[in-house]
Amino acid sequence: MASDTVGNGSLVPFTGDSAAVYPLHHGLPLPISRLSISWSRGNTLRLSLFAGAAAKVVEVKVNSEDSEIPDAHWRRIAYGSVAPFALLQSQRSSISSLLKTPSPYHSDWWEHVLQYSKEIGTLLGGSKLTNSPIIEGPNILVKTDEMPTCLQAAWELIEIFYVDKQSQAWLPERLVDWLADYDSLFTSTHETIHGKLVDFQKELGNIQVIEDDPRYWDLLSSALSVGWLDVVVRMLRLHGSYQLDQLSNRELENGLVEAVAVLISKMPRLRPESDGKLGDCYKSKPDFIKAWEKWRSQITKLDHSPFWIQCDNQQTHEGLRNLLQIMLGNIESLCLATCYWIELYISHFLYIRPFTMGIESMYNLAEKCIQLKPQSSIHRLTGLMIGILEENTEVVLAECSREFGPWLVAHAIELLTTGSEQSEILLHEDRYNLGGISIVELHRLAYAQILSSHALTWQIAPIYLTSCMKQGMGLLENLLYRQSVQHNDVLLKNIEICRLYELDHISSNIMKIAGVYHWKHGHKGAGVFWLQQAQDRSCLDRIAQQLFDSVGKSISDESFKKWEGMIELLGSESNPAGGLEFLHKYRDFKKSLKKVSGGKSTDAARQAVGSLILLMKNPSTPQRFWLPLLHDSLKLLNWQDCPLLSVSETNLLLNKLQELSLAKLCAHYTEPSLPPNALSSIRLALATNLGRAILDE
Amino acid sequence: MAKELLSLEDGTTCTSWNYSGSRLAAGSADGTLSIFDSRHPPSSSSLRTTFKSRVVEGNIVKIVWVPPEYGDAVACISADGIVSLWEEVAIAEDSQSLQWKICKSFGNSSGKVLDVQFGISSTSLKMVAAYSDGNVRVFELLDPLELRNWQLQAEFQNVIESVSEFGKASCLSASISWNPQKGGSQESCFLIGFNSNTPELNSSKVWEFDRAHQRWLPVAELAMPEDKGDLVYAVAWAPNIGRPYEIIAVATQKGIAIWHLGLNPDHDGRLPIERVALLSGHEGMVWQMEWDMSGMTLATTGHDGMVRLWQSNLNGVWHQQAAFEPTS
Repeated sequence: MASDTVGNGSLVPFTGDSAAVYPLHHGLPLPISRLSISWSRGNTLRLSLFAGAAAKVVEVKVNSEDSEIPDAHWRRIAYGSVAPFALLQSQRSSISSLLKTPSPYHSDWWEHVLQYSKEIGTLLGGSKLTNSPIIEGPNILVKTDEMPTCLQAAWELIEIFYVDKQSQAWLPERLVDWLADYDSLFTSTHETIHGKLVDFQKELGNIQVIEDDPRYWDLLSSALSVGWLDVVVRMLRLHGSYQLDQLSNRELENGLVEAVAVLISKMPRLRPESDGKLGDCYKSKPDFIKAWEKWRSQITKLDHSPFWIQCDNQQTHEGLRNLLQIMLGNIESLCLATCYWIELYISHFLYIRPFTMGIESMYNLAEKCIQLKPQSSIHRLTGLMIGILEENTEVVLAECSREFGPWLVAHAIELLTTGSEQSEILLHEDRYNLGGISIVELHRLAYAQILSSHALTWQIAPIYLTSCMKQGMGLLENLLYRQSVQHNDVLLKNIEICRLYELDHISSNIMKIAGVYHWKHGHKGAGVFWLQQAQDRSCLDRIAQQLFDSVGKSISDESFKKWEGMIELLGSESNPAGGLEFLHKYRDFKKSLKKVSGGKSTDAARQAVGSLILLMKNPSTPQRFWLPLLHDSLKLLNWQDCPLLSVSETNLLLNKLQELSLAKLCAHYTEPSLPPNALSSIRLALATNLGRAILDE
Repeated sequence: MAKELLSLEDGTTCTSWNYSGSRLAAGSADGTLSIFDSRHPPSSSSLRTTFKSRVVEGNIVKIVWVPPEYGDAVACISADGIVSLWEEVAIAEDSQSLQWKICKSFGNSSGKVLDVQFGISSTSLKMVAAYSDGNVRVFELLDPLELRNWQLQAEFQNVIESVSEFGKASCLSASISWNPQKGGSQESCFLIGFNSNTPELNSSKVWEFDRAHQRWLPVAELAMPEDKGDLVYAVAWAPNIGRPYEIIAVATQKGIAIWHLGLNPDHDGRLPIERVALLSGHEGMVWQMEWDMSGMTLATTGHDGMVRLWQSNLNGVWHQQAAFEPTS
């Protein structure tokens, strides 16, 4: 389990070579004199470059996905892979809880993974290319309109080897199909059979006598060597001897061509179904072996047939005989027919080692093929394939991350652990060097970082982060904290995510930020609302204090309207602070006073007096409010119909006035802004009320 | 690979992004503070100026954003060591038009301020300021909604043994980094190192607030015994998303050291430390170090004009992962 074999061992691998130096074109006239850096969300790094007096700010994504796929397509993949990923995680956890073991080993676990793999495969655009039986037009040998992606090819390769347990028996045939689908991808680095076919197809219309063209025979043997039987038979039928005007004098030649074509189309294959392609399919190995031997004997028989001598077209003679050699597994013919080692490798399974099952000794064979066809340039799928054949999970992982980026690693890692306890341990074991997380978690975190760095994908990062047992929540918290609260839609989304994952302290933090933002930016109501939501006592107390102060300054009805709503907000939920309690009572008093002001209803007046007494009795009512309160209540004190205050109530108020006159001697006393005769009119009103109350009682 | 976001005006000397990366503050040689805001929906490609005014005398050398829990505010450090705190607020009570207002100024005859950093402890906002005379002052915000009212909470020197005597210190630069841990019951702590003529002050030390005795205590010194006098250029405390230890980067003239800091103190109250890597690359002064939000990748810039990215591999070996070389 030596992890030093892992490629460059990168934690969060970057595409390209390790420790690569990338040029950073800034377009400033002078050399850089100073640089400053700042990480944005995820893997976005922002740089400020200073050169002379000029300066620029640039943004760099330090670890991006495969550039083969355009951004919009990437986002489609990112969004599309969420559901299968989440489903697999939930299946994993339900199976683990069922078995009461941490490892999800279950006889049919691989079926879940296979379903997941198929869904992802479809998402990547898993439409079969040359597999499609419908090829229109006589001059179409291979389809060229849809190009598969390397990502798709890599995914399918991993699926073939790690997940699809059902197809283990016909693994070689799946590789044949795989190459048929993706041979075109290798054209970017070297010559391929697909590439040669495409070139030939372009010129097909201009070729008069096809069997005289050496490329025709060359391509026939090439296509046959990798098992593209349909292409071979279709090409053979283009042979000139099939033309009606020539049929009579080339009867024998045509017979030989047709005989080979029939043999090719009858080639026994060890696979469950034909998918509409040529060849006779056998599901069981004994049947296949029997058929194979019979087929081989037919080829040998044809090879030794006397008709060859009578065939006077030299090209046809040699070309067809060469096809027979391919089918007989002649290594030299196969070597000549194939372009690079993977093609040669596939041809081995078809013609030299048709009875190979499973992965045993496949690596040795690959080594042999690489020796026979040394690679001048290495394609990125090649590295992955070698890693898989070597059965080295770490190399596979390193290749995936280096060549295909974090998306593939984060998703393919699910496939790699299927069915191998050793890989399961390797990938799920917590490592101190990684800060106590497993390789699986590390790669999910790395992928979540990529998602986090884009405004259109950060919302799906939580799905991956919450599947990380150790550090996912920590990173999610950091991600959520870094979202701007300025815009309500982002803010609400943010809070929703917090609620979903029970991140209460982060959501209250975010709401506090929003509250302070709005409060300071003049949206006082929104500010109070969010601070309430955040249950931020210290800020709310400060706001209550401020309100309090402003209420104390002016007590006119206009200002009352202004802060009435605020008091409502402040007191709606949380246990109101001392100051707020007063404000609530004060609001009630003001309201009842308003009712009194117009009318003459004694009941309303009595209610107002009740509020006044409550306020004056309450220890939290600040002293400086006493006089204004009483002054506001003059109408009540001088009520015409009857005295509204009892003797004891009047005494209470008189005592308060007494206290006030004592307080005036203190330094801290601030004189409320009231008319100069306020105090005396209050005194007079109280005295009058007292007299009337005594008489009444 | 690089996308240009903004061309700054001539004379710009420093920039700083806010917590969400949606606002950029830029300071210039003539004391002008500019604020750039990204439009909504948040696409980083369009930034527009929303404020521009001369806020200090002389050159602004550094801008630090106040944590968003306390509003939209920046601290501007000028070349002569004055820190001024500017805040964006509504013009009047009921107005929604905004303006930047000065709230507070720090630094005077007692010494130039070299660096400031804000940290949130369980109770309040704190600001650590490092002065050119080697003093460290911790200020505390008294009112969470008012950036005007600060109180000096503590003043000390960056030394382990308070008895040690040395001459008048003269510091060229200092670097402060708070433990980025948010919330929780953990006591607030920060890290500070100096570039000065006084070896005792230089080595970076972790200071933790001792609530019981209401004082700041050094709980770790991040330097090998033979390197204690090394000039410290920059320090950076990595975000910890769940590691059983903290990771801290310290850049000195010998290179960039990566330290592991244990979470549990020994019987002396010290936190166990281990230097896990000493990285070289910038060949000279390191200007700045920044951790990404996962605390796994460290970005650094320095005298060689390069941006370097560092990571640990699966075996815990730190190495340079990539570098960016500015070219015109």
